[in-house]
Amino acid sequence: MRRVRGLTALLVAGGLSLVAGVARAQVPGAPASSESAPAPEALEEPSENDSDGYTPPADATPSVVVGGYVDVGFAHAQGDGTSFAPGDTRLPADYGVDTFAPAVNSRGDVASTDSHGLFTNGFLPHSVGIGGRPSFLINTVAADLKYTPPSTGLMVFTRVLALPRFSDTGDATHVLVEQAFGRVIPFDSEELALSVGKFDSVFGIEYLDNESNIRTGITPSLIARYTTGQSVGAKLFYRIQLAPLWSALSLNMAATNSGTFVDALQTPDVSLTGRPVGSVRLGYELNRPRVQAKLGASGMYGVRNDQSDTAARQRALGADLRVAFAGLYVNAEAVKVDEDGGGPKTNDSGTFMFASAFHGRGFYGQLAYALAVDAGPLHKITPYGRYEMRHAWFEGFTPITVDRITAGLRVDLWEAVIVKAEILINRELSGAPNVANNVQTTSVVYSW
Amino acid sequence: MSRLGMFAARLAPIVIGAACVAASTLAVAAPARGGREWLGEDMPLPLAVKTPQDLAVKAVAEKQYLIFNLLAGGKMAWDAGDYATAATKWESLLRVPGLDPEIDRVIRPLASAARGQAAPPSTSTAPSSVAASSVAAPITAPPRPRLENVAVSGTISGGGASGPGGAVVWLKRANGETPRPAPAKGKVISQRGKQFVPHVLAVPVGTKVDFRNEDTIYHNVFSLTKPNDFDTGLYKQGGTYEQTFKKPGPVQLLCNIHSSMLGYVYVVDSPYYAQADGAGAFTIKGVPPGEYELEVWHEGASTTTKERVNVGAEGVRGLALRVGGDRRAPEFVPDKSGKPRQSHLGY
Repeated sequence: MRRVRGLTALLVAGGLSLVAGVARAQVPGAPASSESAPAPEALEEPSENDSDGYTPPADATPSVVVGGYVDVGFAHAQGDGTSFAPGDTRLPADYGVDTFAPAVNSRGDVASTDSHGLFTNGFLPHSVGIGGRPSFLINTVAADLKYTPPSTGLMVFTRVLALPRFSDTGDATHVLVEQAFGRVIPFDSEELALSVGKFDSVFGIEYLDNESNIRTGITPSLIARYTTGQSVGAKLFYRIQLAPLWSALSLNMAATNSGTFVDALQTPDVSLTGRPVGSVRLGYELNRPRVQAKLGASGMYGVRNDQSDTAARQRALGADLRVAFAGLYVNAEAVKVDEDGGGPKTNDSGTFMFASAFHGRGFYGQLAYALAVDAGPLHKITPYGRYEMRHAWFEGFTPITVDRITAGLRVDLWEAVIVKAEILINRELSGAPNVANNVQTTSVVYSW
Repeated sequence: MSRLGMFAARLAPIVIGAACVAASTLAVAAPARGGREWLGEDMPLPLAVKTPQDLAVKAVAEKQYLIFNLLAGGKMAWDAGDYATAATKWESLLRVPGLDPEIDRVIRPLASAARGQAAPPSTSTAPSSVAASSVAAPITAPPRPRLENVAVSGTISGGGASGPGGAVVWLKRANGETPRPAPAKGKVISQRGKQFVPHVLAVPVGTKVDFRNEDTIYHNVFSLTKPNDFDTGLYKQGGTYEQTFKKPGPVQLLCNIHSSMLGYVYVVDSPYYAQADGAGAFTIKGVPPGEYELEVWHEGASTTTKERVNVGAEGVRGLALRVGGDRRAPEFVPDKSGKPRQSHLGY
């Protein structure tokens, strides 16, 4: 019995000490067990699995790509949603010089253009007709279709916008074929592209960010209405690389039915005079690994498109700058616009009795910082701010100067959702009474 | 004999119980086997050694393990009537340096009794081969038989409109570290006809890839995918730029000039990987048998597909895997500053 007890004790003690020993070997910080292998760093196993990679056959790449986005939002403009000063009894009460500053969405639509019976004669913007009531908005439903036949250098692109509007006092719901063009790249050895159809402007840089699924913020700038319009015509793009300088020079030019004003300000899609308007941008870009800088100078000249008088011309000059560095983006642009006076005026908003000569100058500067985030659906956070000013006048009327301060935040979620919130502080600096017309607006954009 | 048999019989449940505790706690690699083969005689123990402290822990553990095995293994041999084995195990136990005197006091007479019962080798009662092999095991661990490396193959489906072609499949050991792969040699991605060729290339960590411009125009290659981001600058026809990919994961390739160009390098940190062909078929060669985590990446899937795979001596054939197709090719690829470009504008 004594031997039995002794052996029992030995076995139990042996087992326990063994367990304890192993347990000690697995305390935090101790290396994980590994099939009695040497440290993995010491192993370097030549692979039998070298891959030559995979390239899909040419016919496997879809030649038709359909995409688009939906942009919905919630906006509130102070006052009655216009920039008309209550009780302003000036005669003539002409607000033609665009004091309709409170844009509320990515289209640049304003909350209201209701002048309460006052005579207006200006470049009326589109309106969502919400006045001073905080409202949900369906800003844009966009559908893109791109057809690229394999190995041809051809591309056909269309972008159709549905703009649902539900207010009796604003614009009606409408569908806009914003772009529809064919493009050919005739030479493999040159960066040359020719386009024919209805396409984006070539003036300045803001047209590059025209869509809400691309633009950093929500609202376009105060001068976007003079530079970002689409028109029908022909376009050429050419670029030459200066490789030793990490640089390139580019030329973008177009001859179109109308100028670069947005659709609300010009006769859409047709030329009233039969004479094209020419526009051009010369660009320089520096593409260093950590820094990109792009400079441009733009010009536009032709007959004024909103009337039939070929003697009435329109001219625009612009300069633009973009700098990107370590997530920081600076965009700045200035424009000078002049239109001669002429006869009765026709634009997207109707026909008006006469057209005064018009002069406008404006600029904006925007600073944004894109902070990449890898936290579940959260991809990127971009705070941004913009300052802009516009000074404009119709001949014979008081010049009006306005400025605007914009602050916003953009959040990119997953790969398809963008949430933006923006505050716009609108100020009438001279030529018109200051009005409470600040705006808070939000936008959710889903790309598909 | 009868007295020893009595106490041994009474001890048997205790020995087996303790052995079970030890075996289950250890999760020893050797699976439970039938017959009289002892559970845990594989040596050395599968304890990783990277530091001197690890070595000390392992030495202590293996000594205790050896003592326990000899102690209990002798008892099991005795119970089976294999006195020669019992004697050999217990005699081996008594030769262990620094043996606890209490063990010596108890085991020495038992070893002697077993030796007395044991028949001469020529007339032994034919101990089983299992038992015979177990005799030598505790002293010098038998080399574990090396199994031939095998192949893992199967077919991938899914991947959305572009299909499963180019999917990258790799294996990582489920228990323990996966060997670090050697960098591949001679890997090239061409820019040809304003495309990256190949469109997707899988390479092991540390591989240097040559980017070669075969077009008559300038090209640039850059990636914003951290931590493998890079920028080749501009280079003309015939020019080559080398980039070493040091971190695992997908790397999106773009050209700052041509917004329609898009490609991928997938960097794997395992020597066991493959790329699916256009039909989704793949074969990973040279895989040692064992438990693996299989993972599949495809450009059209927002998440990877994962699966546990047990690779036996015959390998694995006919794996059916599916990758998602929820992620479309980006319509607006960024320029090198991260700003999205609309490919239908300009060039």
